[in-house]
Amino acid sequence: MRGGQNAAWFAVPVRWYLGALFVGACLHKIAVPASFALDIATYDILPLVAINVVAIGLPWIELIAGVMLIAGWRVRAASLILAGMMLVFLVALCIALARGLDMSCGCFASQGAEDDPISRLTVFRDLVWLGLCLFVSTFDRGLVGFDGWLGRRDS
Amino acid sequence: MSAVDGTRIQSLRSTLVDAALVVLTGIVVALVVNFIRADGLPLVAHTPYLTLVPCPEPGGPVEALDAGSPEVASPRSFLVDARSDIQFDQQHLPGAVNVHYDWLDPLPETALAGLARSIAASGSTRVVVYGDGGRPDSGEYLAKEISGRGIKNVHFIRGGAPAALGREER
Repeated sequence: MRGGQNAAWFAVPVRWYLGALFVGACLHKIAVPASFALDIATYDILPLVAINVVAIGLPWIELIAGVMLIAGWRVRAASLILAGMMLVFLVALCIALARGLDMSCGCFASQGAEDDPISRLTVFRDLVWLGLCLFVSTFDRGLVGFDGWLGRRDS
Repeated sequence: MSAVDGTRIQSLRSTLVDAALVVLTGIVVALVVNFIRADGLPLVAHTPYLTLVPCPEPGGPVEALDAGSPEVASPRSFLVDARSDIQFDQQHLPGAVNVHYDWLDPLPETALAGLARSIAASGSTRVVVYGDGGRPDSGEYLAKEISGRGIKNVHFIRGGAPAALGREER
């Protein structure tokens, strides 16, 4: 199973990359929740009662899951959570694109539509990240990180 | 059920429990921090967010023509009047057809299909649209809409009907 072993080793830098990516993405959302709430409202998908709860909770889940990926602790659970988030972001993005909204995706620090407009490229980028999350959840064997040190393997 | 299947199910269950715990922890931490911080958000927004998303500009490329340009009077031009049917009945350029430009529903599919058929049957090589000549000009917007929906070589008359029909009267 040399291929599986190679994939397991490749999953290590991938999960570090994903972990850093999601931790980086959530920092501004945690620092300025009102701005993230406005980003969510701009998508015009969620009802008003749900916007603030999502704006408050989602970045912290991103942060915890991102740190777990970097630390290599409960990797499969963390990567599945992030894959689920990516799926939700993708659906929201596609709806916004279908409506022809000229807006920023709100994925990182809030930017104007002129700086970072949503496009098919944004969808492609999110699809790649979704694929990487699924790759990690499938192939990670806890080679470097807490799961490995604790002798925990989910396979 | 084999021992391997049992282990997989156990592993999946354990992963889902872990994921649920992470989500729960995230929500609890988020609520506590939000409660403590000075700029925390209310859990439910009381007033709608003021989001400003510009609507996309419709259409494709069009060229402006002066009312007196030879392309307007050319027999190869298919003239389209974007004004209301009442205004069209009162006066219009000879040979023009009426496709009323409705700002809320600019060019319904049926109107577009009828227009495309008429243009093809006429053998014209260009489409010249004129509207009310206002700001914004319905003729320019209808021309962009027609161009954006796949009809090529679309023009509009600068100044709209006042310019085109005023010249006609002279």
